[in-house]
Amino acid sequence: MSCKIFTFVHTRTKSDKTLKTTLIDGSKILTEALVRSGADVFVGYPITPSNLLYSYGKQRFPLFLAAPDEISTAQWMAGLSATGHLPVTSSAFPGIALMVESINMAYAMELPSIFILTQRLGPSTGSATTGAQGDLMLLKGIISGGYPLPVFSPSSYEDAWELSNKAVETALRFRTPVFILTSKEFVMTQKSFDLDRLKPLPKHTHMREISGEFKPYKPVKDLTPAFVPLGDDEYLTRFTASTHDQDANIRKNDPEALENSRRLRKKLVDNLDDFFFYEWDKQAEKPAENLILTWGITASAAREATEALRRMNVPVDLLILKTLLPVSPRIYDMMEPYENIVIAEENLTGQLKEILFGEKTPEKIRTVNKIGDMITPQEIVATFKNPAS
Amino acid sequence: MTTTVQPQMLTDKKFPFCPGCGHGIAINNLARVLLEQGYKPEDITVVSDIGCSGLIDPLFATHTIHGLHGRSPALGLGVAMGLQQKPRKKTIAFIGDGGATIGLQHILEDARRNVDMTLIVLNNLLYGMTGGQISGLSTQKYKEIIDFEKDIPPFDIIKLAHASGARYAARVNSPKGMQDALRKAIETPGFAIVEIASMCPSYGVKRLNDLIELMHEEESYENPRPETRIVFEEKPSLFDKQPVITAEFSPHMETRKGILIAGSAGGGVQSVGKFLATAGIKAGLHTTMKGEYPITVGTGFSVAEVILDKKDIHYTGLENPGIAVVVTEDGWHKIKKRITPQTTLYIDEKLTGLVDVPVREMIVKPFSKIVNRKSVALLATAYMLKREQFFPPEALKKVLENHRLKDIFLATWERLELVGD
Repeated sequence: MSCKIFTFVHTRTKSDKTLKTTLIDGSKILTEALVRSGADVFVGYPITPSNLLYSYGKQRFPLFLAAPDEISTAQWMAGLSATGHLPVTSSAFPGIALMVESINMAYAMELPSIFILTQRLGPSTGSATTGAQGDLMLLKGIISGGYPLPVFSPSSYEDAWELSNKAVETALRFRTPVFILTSKEFVMTQKSFDLDRLKPLPKHTHMREISGEFKPYKPVKDLTPAFVPLGDDEYLTRFTASTHDQDANIRKNDPEALENSRRLRKKLVDNLDDFFFYEWDKQAEKPAENLILTWGITASAAREATEALRRMNVPVDLLILKTLLPVSPRIYDMMEPYENIVIAEENLTGQLKEILFGEKTPEKIRTVNKIGDMITPQEIVATFKNPAS
Repeated sequence: MTTTVQPQMLTDKKFPFCPGCGHGIAINNLARVLLEQGYKPEDITVVSDIGCSGLIDPLFATHTIHGLHGRSPALGLGVAMGLQQKPRKKTIAFIGDGGATIGLQHILEDARRNVDMTLIVLNNLLYGMTGGQISGLSTQKYKEIIDFEKDIPPFDIIKLAHASGARYAARVNSPKGMQDALRKAIETPGFAIVEIASMCPSYGVKRLNDLIELMHEEESYENPRPETRIVFEEKPSLFDKQPVITAEFSPHMETRKGILIAGSAGGGVQSVGKFLATAGIKAGLHTTMKGEYPITVGTGFSVAEVILDKKDIHYTGLENPGIAVVVTEDGWHKIKKRITPQTTLYIDEKLTGLVDVPVREMIVKPFSKIVNRKSVALLATAYMLKREQFFPPEALKKVLENHRLKDIFLATWERLELVGD
């Protein structure tokens, strides 16, 4: 199935008095989209560069809670989620690091929730007001045991709008925490934008399909159990973060409990095609000689680099990944026909590249990596040795 | 130990506690109180975490949620806030003394927030699952007996919770007062905490009388304050207040322009950047605006980056600014490494001595003599636009006219002619 769901309108060369143009930042688009999609609680602890999300969260979410720290944030979110709400928070690496155990808890309990990670320059406190793409590897291994977590990364305002909706849908459909991985540049920079480019968004709700006996962790659809909230008057439910069977009884290594743990991975991997999103800008039906592969904030430079290279008659296609995790095997199929591939991302060694290829990079792959500033279109263009040929 | 009491609130599972453990007594008493008060299993959510106290999870035939060590007060608060919209739903969290040490701040936060829930601290003076190590709630007398960190005082969780605003906080050391304290806690609208002394026959105290001797004194406190209500309310779209900018002018430029405006905190630089970007939209252009300033926003440099283009702007970086408007020394030091020989520099006359890099053209004007420090960035930027004519400067004036501080901004605009050509 084709998953090229986000097609971009690249140019508007004349003024148009009918346009609903405004000057807006990515934080506002994300916040508005999440609420319209069904999220109803924002739990926040302020941290740069996600402060606009906190501020908009207070203005827009039906319930806003100012938590005293990031662990409380994630715990309150889990409690609210278990009662049938859909909580959202935003943070940066230092805050997400504190939440890791609680995110694992929500994952094991199968509690829908949305975490926006605004990347900034690390390690550690690093530079709070400098952007980065350095936390993908963290999310790859964030769940103990190597279980995957859905990670979406917007590369444009249209992405922010639609991926927020997909994040809510994915969180509810598969009962899982979901990450929106973005960066300082995306959430703080203001751009002119025509709001009419944003489509109406469907609102999503929990899946509650119960037939016969209700068991809290008995999969009923998409390998996912029906969601019954705490306090329900019809069924008694149980949530647990410990290894458990379908009745939520804590079990060590009995087959049913281990099968339940395996299901946590399987429900996401088996249904990945339904939420694997990307943008594949091909010059022609047949793949070009060269491919630029990127994600997140570097996609903006990659778009301009692609345009520049094409003006120089360099045959190049552009692949922007918007679902980063779990890794779709289809990415390898898409890369296969290209003779040269440049993977561009704003981190030290190429985290997407390492996730795809480990420590040994195939010969046809080159990388553009950088820390401390955005990768420029020129830096991507420069990797093509003979751009005029 | 097994239970036969109150099967409606408890499952028929055998209690998993060591013989003589006090936890089972607390559970039975709680179940009794809940039934006595007319609660049904579906009204109750029991929150537990890790440690011997966490073993209660399978024992309750209610809604249950079993989380992380030390976090049940925070998880429980999330549950309580989520359930408050439904009538007669009660959240009861359990924690041990080890967990209470980890999650001390959560308990104080629960007390401060005073959302309706009950926290039961089962204090057996030690970590029972890992070999009997002391916790932050191990009492002084107990630590003296086992000669373990006896110079470091324990937390008094009841006094701390009370001082933080708990509606009801009580400690009970014997089964005698346990039901009364639990009843009072469940009836209390708001946050209630009950610390219950509990024996650990495996590692700690084996006789009840010894335990009573070692615990802090029984005590109870109340803060007569109303419970905090959690309100979900629909709020208007963020887009409702988002100004729609109509193109009223035409641009006079063909290629992308990158402009740096550099000044100091409090000089309105970020606002001026936004005005310029908005004016660009009024002139039918695509624009971006990015601010840069220290974490301490009230001091030091303030830089705004504005990009103008007739085409969509994807990449929002600005590595080769065609224009730099510099009005303070802080601003100059911040951006001077970004100045290239292709940059046209608009600079206040007081700063010309600082310029030690080649520029395409340097326009020196006495901006800071004409207006005060809060307006100099606007004056210099307006002058730059008037001279460069990327689009009609009237577009910028229109933006200023629509601002709530228009009188101040337009007064600056009027002084533009004093800058000269």
